[in-house]
Amino acid sequence: MSAPESVRPGVGGLAERILPKDLTRNPDSKLAARIAQCKAEGRPALVGYLPAGYPTVEESVEAAVALGQNGADIIEIGIPYSDPVMDGTVIQNATTQALANGVRVADAFTVVQAVSERTDAVPVVMTYWNPVLQTGVDEFSRRLREAGGAGMITPDLIPDEAGDWFEASQKYGLDRIFLVAPSTTRERMDMTVKASSGFVYAVSIMGVTGARDQVSSAAEDVVARAREAGAENVCVGLGVSNRGHVEEIGAYADGVIVGTALVRALGEGGPEAVGRLAAELSGRG
Amino acid sequence: MSQQRTNTVLDQIIEGVREDLEARRAVVSLQQLQRTAKAQAPALDAESALRGEEPGSVQVLSEVKRSSPSKGALADIADPAALAASYEQGGASAISVLTEKRRFGGSLTDLDAVRQAVNVPVLRKDFTVDEYQIWEARAHGADMVLLIVAALDDETLRRFLDLTHELGMHALVETHTPEEIERAVAVGARIIGVNTRNLKTLEVDVHTFGRLADQIPTDAVIIAESGVAGEDQIKLYAGHGANAVLTGEVLVKSDDPARTISRFRDVGAAARADFLAGKKPPAAQAEFAAQQLAASADGAASPGSGEGSLKNAPGPYFGDFGGRWMPESLVAALDELTEVFDKARVDDEFQDEFKRLSRDYSGRPSLLTEAKRFGESIGARVFLKREDLNHTGSHKINNVLGQALLAQRMGKNRLIAETGAGQHGVATATAAALFGMECCIYMGEEDTRRQALNVARMRLLGAEVVPVSHGSATLKDAINEALRDWVASVDTTHYLLGTAAGPHPFPAMVRYFHEQIGEEAREQILEKAGRLPDAVTACVGGGSNAIGIFHGFLDDAEVELYGNEAGGDGVDTGRHAATITLGRPGVLHGAKTFLMQDTDGQTIESHSISAGLDYPAVGPEHSHLHAIGRVKYEAITDTQAMEAFKLLSRTEGIIPAIESSHALAGARDLAGRWVKDLGPEAAAEKIIVVSLSGRGDKDVATAAEWFDMLPEDSHEEQVGQKGEQL
Repeated sequence: MSAPESVRPGVGGLAERILPKDLTRNPDSKLAARIAQCKAEGRPALVGYLPAGYPTVEESVEAAVALGQNGADIIEIGIPYSDPVMDGTVIQNATTQALANGVRVADAFTVVQAVSERTDAVPVVMTYWNPVLQTGVDEFSRRLREAGGAGMITPDLIPDEAGDWFEASQKYGLDRIFLVAPSTTRERMDMTVKASSGFVYAVSIMGVTGARDQVSSAAEDVVARAREAGAENVCVGLGVSNRGHVEEIGAYADGVIVGTALVRALGEGGPEAVGRLAAELSGRG
Repeated sequence: MSQQRTNTVLDQIIEGVREDLEARRAVVSLQQLQRTAKAQAPALDAESALRGEEPGSVQVLSEVKRSSPSKGALADIADPAALAASYEQGGASAISVLTEKRRFGGSLTDLDAVRQAVNVPVLRKDFTVDEYQIWEARAHGADMVLLIVAALDDETLRRFLDLTHELGMHALVETHTPEEIERAVAVGARIIGVNTRNLKTLEVDVHTFGRLADQIPTDAVIIAESGVAGEDQIKLYAGHGANAVLTGEVLVKSDDPARTISRFRDVGAAARADFLAGKKPPAAQAEFAAQQLAASADGAASPGSGEGSLKNAPGPYFGDFGGRWMPESLVAALDELTEVFDKARVDDEFQDEFKRLSRDYSGRPSLLTEAKRFGESIGARVFLKREDLNHTGSHKINNVLGQALLAQRMGKNRLIAETGAGQHGVATATAAALFGMECCIYMGEEDTRRQALNVARMRLLGAEVVPVSHGSATLKDAINEALRDWVASVDTTHYLLGTAAGPHPFPAMVRYFHEQIGEEAREQILEKAGRLPDAVTACVGGGSNAIGIFHGFLDDAEVELYGNEAGGDGVDTGRHAATITLGRPGVLHGAKTFLMQDTDGQTIESHSISAGLDYPAVGPEHSHLHAIGRVKYEAITDTQAMEAFKLLSRTEGIIPAIESSHALAGARDLAGRWVKDLGPEAAAEKIIVVSLSGRGDKDVATAAEWFDMLPEDSHEEQVGQKGEQL
């Protein structure tokens, strides 16, 4: 294996100002390896989201395992948070219920570990930043790695504020999945793509999470701009609810992210319903 | 003639510049240039580029220069684009391109080539003596022009600077003397250069920079120009506080300009670190000591002008607090807002409009009323800053008018806002009605019950009021919901955040619109009492009225500042909103600041009888002022606040908002301590200015219930009980 290469050899502008000099892409990225494997098989990676502790910790473990055993390539375990500004009603209600049932940050690692041990899917954590900050960025990263997690998706952390996370992610070999949006400028796209590893999370619409009948055409443009900025893997999220969406987005993106539809299925039909929906979404059903 | 005669080399150069520009004007009319300029992509933000993201960094403004009057031909630059690209690669934050032909061998062709080659801001460096050149710069894709103070009279300098800003560009305003710095500051220059080259003799004295730099306000970007032969001068300039260094000769002659720039940035940052730590470069120490001596002989420096001033902190960081912890989807909108705000605050037209509205619509300046009977009963002299007399009944209107004007400038026709007590919602609905804008107010469901009359007021003003039932259904959840709306509507909607919290630029911007509270209060107390007060008290939820009034006194070390947080049922009961007193740092709503949270970082619900203070975080500048000890934050319980509410009503005939009653109770506590420590006679001489941030009409039902003044089972009692249930 060759030595990891700095992601910003002499780059100017925002990336130069914001990214640490020694920042490297994760050379052992499990996410990149899994997406490469999907590409080789001629299909997009299926990325599924479920919150830890919904409706209980035990059921969230079973739901995540069902998701992994029925075709999800990557599983995002969400950490319920008191102030989820990027989430629509379905996920808010689920995470509020999880919190009311007493879910703790540490429970997320239990779910991650179950996915890692009992399925082939690659687990990552999706979390608002304050729970990480209060656990301690280094400590959180260490425990995530220990549980078998591959990285972290950070919806309210932009690279501009990610100094501690750059350090910890490199120390523990974790992937940094930052978001890019239709409103992201060229300069920020360039910087954020350089800051990311594993994959770049393209927000397909200007809005919060929630299943939609149609997936915005803005998604294709965001993906194209992320690629232009040098992104190897781009996954698209926000609004995906059925196999048709997966195929439509899979035509131009490397991975398709499904959240709200899975959470709703879990609420209505338990872990089995999650398994059935995952099978449908992955084209196995 | 706009030009000032200085009888120097500059005059001769300018003669030639004028001839050449008339020749170009004969070929390309101003109208043609204006069309081309308007078709250009928007100018890049040179100010931010030259300030740099990190306060400890030093930027290099690298120049493409073929020759100079002092040195003759410097280098044979075959490919200015390639040279500029290598500058960019080395980390140049902006590129300067000489376009003056006769002495410097430059041209607009060079400018075009460089513009094509780089993505960083480009300075069109010429001797600007005619507006035509400013349009020309923009038409050729420049992001910045040079305005030499010595070559322009005040009126022209201001006009040129305004045009530059109107075209979205920035100007490097070049100075050589203290007088020129004063003139540059007076016209609102944001980027101020000190050229160490003497205009008459063309000689360079690198120590000029150290002599002049500290006269430039710290919120301007400070550039050192000329005289860079190598790393020594970079260290000297950076050690005296330069944000950026303009250099050309040493780069065009370098074998590896990229490496030279990168090296300059490194040594610059090291020297700047010493500067920020308060050290001075050895070469200038003797001079500095002499200066300090002279300054102390002149008496105290004017507030806000010196190093170490706490005023006008620009954000995004206030010490360890602040920042932008926000979804990427909103960053473009925050950038746009920052840019529009930065332009507006130096734009006369904006200032005039804001002042006109504040005066003719809100009723500013607000009075400073001595509360003699209230003062006698607590044991000290008390002056009330009467924000309750503003239109809509609180300080909130100041910020709302300012931000609504900015929304208008951004072409956004919909305002959204959160509200707790309803004062900010009412103020926003008022501004929306005044400006003919659509308006949507998010309000916690519990608060809509506590403040039913304010909900009706907002609806009467034409606003939609959306009750938020998620989470704790109070102010913080209203902010969450407003943010969710904003993520989906950001193209047409401005989020008019009501307090000095949230992501940059909100904390600094909201403070800016409320600074008039403190400025007026300082002036008024000096007039009425003949001296500064001993203390200022203000209530703190998010902290907007407090930061506004504190700002007037931050640099007056002898004035004690008190922020009164909501202690609810008592700080030992767990039912309170005493964020700074009992919270710890974390991230909420876009800023790093003190929060009420559990060990997992989940926000804990706050409690207060006052809906306006019922917020589990606080503005980041307050966290900083607490951390450095400049402001003391103390918790006031519901009971203490209500006692003060009643006392002011009975002694002065003024019914205060329950929020403001926390500041009155804070003053009462303080006066009590003085009476105890100093004796009643000495205490009676002491002066407290209290920020009376709002009037209490909205709180009458809550207060009447609290004091058991309502007939049993009356409608009013039911309304009041709803307020009390919380």
